[in-house]
Amino acid sequence: MNVAEKYTDAELIRAVQEEKNLNRAILFIYQQYALSTSSFIIHYGASEQDAEDVFQETVISFIDIVKKGKYRMEASIKTFLVSVARNIWFNELKKRERSGHREKLYEHDRDQKEDDISFKISDLEKKRQLRDLVHQLGDPCKKILMLFYYDDLSMKEIVEHLPYENEQVVRNKKYKCLQSLTGLIKNNPEIARQISELVK
Amino acid sequence: MEQHQTLVDHLDKSLQGEGSSEMEQLISNDPETAREWNYLLLAVDAIQEAGLQEQVAAVKQEWKLQQMVATRPSGGVVRRISRNLVKVAAILVVVGGGAVFYKYATISSGSLYDRYYSSYELNTSRGAGDADAMEKAYHARDWNAVLASFSQSKRDNKTDFLAGMADMELKKYDDAIEHFEQVIAINAQAGSDYFMDEAQYYLAISWLAKDKVNEALPILEKIRANKEHLFHDKVTHMSFLDLRLVQFKESR
Repeated sequence: MNVAEKYTDAELIRAVQEEKNLNRAILFIYQQYALSTSSFIIHYGASEQDAEDVFQETVISFIDIVKKGKYRMEASIKTFLVSVARNIWFNELKKRERSGHREKLYEHDRDQKEDDISFKISDLEKKRQLRDLVHQLGDPCKKILMLFYYDDLSMKEIVEHLPYENEQVVRNKKYKCLQSLTGLIKNNPEIARQISELVK
Repeated sequence: MEQHQTLVDHLDKSLQGEGSSEMEQLISNDPETAREWNYLLLAVDAIQEAGLQEQVAAVKQEWKLQQMVATRPSGGVVRRISRNLVKVAAILVVVGGGAVFYKYATISSGSLYDRYYSSYELNTSRGAGDADAMEKAYHARDWNAVLASFSQSKRDNKTDFLAGMADMELKKYDDAIEHFEQVIAINAQAGSDYFMDEAQYYLAISWLAKDKVNEALPILEKIRANKEHLFHDKVTHMSFLDLRLVQFKESR
């Protein structure tokens, strides 16, 4: 696997928005920014594994922000990624309840632009919780739901990918899996509370 | 139950006309339906988040593999190959043969590609139904027609793979690589293996065509280590000595 072409910032944003060769765009992000961003995070006390996890979250967050049209090209992608990674890492430190000293340093250092980024990734923890619920479903349900709702495959195409007899069987299975997932979400008190507030 | 099913149909955009607008009204007016609707939307968000996470994680693994290849201590390999080369040179001097020198001078990724590339024979029984336009074009070896069909058909692993093969036949190796990587990425994400072995083998061969033996070798080694792989026998008959020789030569 390699990257034949280089992306400018604008081309990279377009590739992510249009989801054209998204794997190549992600690989390019890794090739260009993973090491420098990780070094930065390691400088703030992360282990190599922490830095790897933080960068993965950073890439997911970046793609999410771009896809939703919330990315404004006020800074270079490199600067943006570093800022997002720094926010994720300090949130992680906060979660681990050992961030007091470092966070004070961070709060002192950060500039105005990062307030915006903090806002954008403020629901990151919620997203993580939601992803964990999907992983709790077990492989058969996870696969069928991802093929339909993420890969956008039709029932007919899913029959070709998975060992189900026909489209109706897939449709029934997908319905049950979606019910299981909403069941798991309903059992999460924090999410249930937010939904109730939303529909008051 | 029935209403919930209708709500899911609305979510999947499979309700038509009045059914859809009735459901929208119900969501606006009935708090219980609105609550269920929000849970469904959240569930879809969760699935899409998890999907993106898996896609990024899969590419990260590819990147880490690249990193390992790039940072593998080349000194050991070079020293080992160098020692072999000294021995080979000594034998050459003794026997006075020039064949190995000739081989070293002429061997390249491209020459290995010529040696190992063979067209893929499409088994029609593998298709999901009657041979479609793309399959027919493939059997007719009309590569441009295969690519034209690809652009008009619903994309899946099979169409991507056949388009990749057509690109290979037309010597458009970058495009071929893109198609094969797409097949591998989709399988990695879905946990399936539809056209996986084929895509892996021809991805490696495509890299050889592009004189990128460093990209091809890890894939071929993986195939050689997997006895269940469709192309295992084919790969075990390849000369890894030649591949290493090319790697050495092209790294100089």
